[in-house]
Amino acid sequence: MKKTVVLLIIIGLVVSAYKKIGSYELIVPNNWPKPVYDFNRNPLTSEKILLGRVLFYDPILSKDNTISCSSCHSQFSAFTHIDHPLSHGIDNQIGKRNSPALMNLAWNSSFMWDGAVNHLDMQALAPISNTVEMNETIGHVVEKLQQSPIYPQLFYKAFGDSIITGERLLKSISQFMLTLVSCHSKYDSVQQKKASFTTQEKNGYQLFKKNCSSCHKEPFFTNDQFENNGLQVDTSLKDIGRMMVTQDSANYLQFRVPKLRNIQYSYPYMHDGRFAKLKQVLDHYTNGVVRYKNLSKLLLKTINLTSNEKVDLIAFLYTLSDTAFIFDKRYSYPRDILH
Amino acid sequence: MIPTRKHLYLLLFGLICTGLVQAQGTLSFHPCYGKDFLQLTDSGYQSKDKDSITISLFRFYVSGIELWNDGKRVWEEKNYHLINASDTSTFKISLSNIYTINYNKIIFNLGIDSTTNVSGAMGGDLDPMKGMYWAWQSGYINVKLEGTSPLCKTRNNGFEFHLGGYHTPVNALQTIELPLKSSDKIEVFIDLKQLLTNIDLSKTNQLMSPSKEAVELSRKLSKVFEIR
Repeated sequence: MKKTVVLLIIIGLVVSAYKKIGSYELIVPNNWPKPVYDFNRNPLTSEKILLGRVLFYDPILSKDNTISCSSCHSQFSAFTHIDHPLSHGIDNQIGKRNSPALMNLAWNSSFMWDGAVNHLDMQALAPISNTVEMNETIGHVVEKLQQSPIYPQLFYKAFGDSIITGERLLKSISQFMLTLVSCHSKYDSVQQKKASFTTQEKNGYQLFKKNCSSCHKEPFFTNDQFENNGLQVDTSLKDIGRMMVTQDSANYLQFRVPKLRNIQYSYPYMHDGRFAKLKQVLDHYTNGVVRYKNLSKLLLKTINLTSNEKVDLIAFLYTLSDTAFIFDKRYSYPRDILH
Repeated sequence: MIPTRKHLYLLLFGLICTGLVQAQGTLSFHPCYGKDFLQLTDSGYQSKDKDSITISLFRFYVSGIELWNDGKRVWEEKNYHLINASDTSTFKISLSNIYTINYNKIIFNLGIDSTTNVSGAMGGDLDPMKGMYWAWQSGYINVKLEGTSPLCKTRNNGFEFHLGGYHTPVNALQTIELPLKSSDKIEVFIDLKQLLTNIDLSKTNQLMSPSKEAVELSRKLSKVFEIR
């Protein structure tokens, strides 16, 4: 019986053009490249993923137990913080940037809008210790988890003993984040010839390939690079982007090229959330680009789009919406463990 | 005297004992201020000199320890050790199986190499909960040195040096080479007085992120590691 099931899964994988990553059921399209994340250093198990999921949703990570990862990364918005241009954290304080949507993180070579974080495992440290986000220390979080009624048991199940360390905590959160794979949009179905675009979407896709895809490269719709996309500096924030990290003026106002999957759900847009609607984003690229010295080379040629073309382009962008991802129960609040 | 069987046994016993004692060599670090040992209490260390310097925190990573003999590497280990001036139990590092080896030089890194810096979460002394990891920007803090001096026109006259950075041109990792006189215990002294009197504390007193200044101070610190 078991063998038959395994065989059926294998046949299913072959037929459906999806492949598995590692020993855990992380299913991705066949044509996706090898992940950047080294799964051998942190092999996925369902127990560790569950632990990471509980940690992701638990405000125990913040100083006064009010803010969890999910506060700024909610599933219904593709794990971002909608309605707020800038995300807010502990004591209603406002941060400097718009929290990014979380998906397909195993293919990132760095994290944050400015690439300040070099590894997914280390990502959670930044919001935990940021004074306007969670204002905590990882050492104190570990102490709180040790005294909690639920965590020693969850760590025991995940690691074979109930010892709680920073390393285990961070790797578990990584495990959950690594499972956040979005690959079931209409666009994916079209790629697998199981669906077809409408005429409008098809036209939008052509416009996208012509004008956008050098930076927003398929299949993740990002080139995993940092670009200056010609946004006017917000004088109240004075955010210099990647230059903060590198101290190099070549990186002035460079920000990560965001992924576009689920863009319909993850408004507002840009690193500071200045645009509430996709139409405004396209208007920026056609009419608003500031000609900085280090403006992205890919934006040197003016992008021309008629208003009808913009409508078509947006229709295509909506085909990147993945409702299976937004409603996947494996990613939702673990209400049987956290109350 | 003709050696008897008893003598041979004694000789053998003696050899085994020497072997056992030396099987586990030790490398010890001694944070100092001038000639005095730096012993951090709750109120920190107060220098006896007129310079009124106090030191409240001193921690650093040692990694990539190697023993060399006449230009050849004869021993190495891949571990990472966090030495904490307020915890004497961290001062000693056991070097296993060095009893048959002759060596006359030790080489080690002050800090964490770039590969380890980009390899994700790690445990033991590398666990980020040890407080030697930057949160807003990934990377280990190789050295933390904090204290006060009347020269610092800062809040409470404090100086804070968090030295790190693994990218060129701000790679702060230092390799330290020290010649050894004998193959006994290896004792390394770190004279912070030499360091702190060699920099202008009125100008350099807050280094909290990777920078050229942090690389320069790391280099200066590496020069006050010595065998006495």
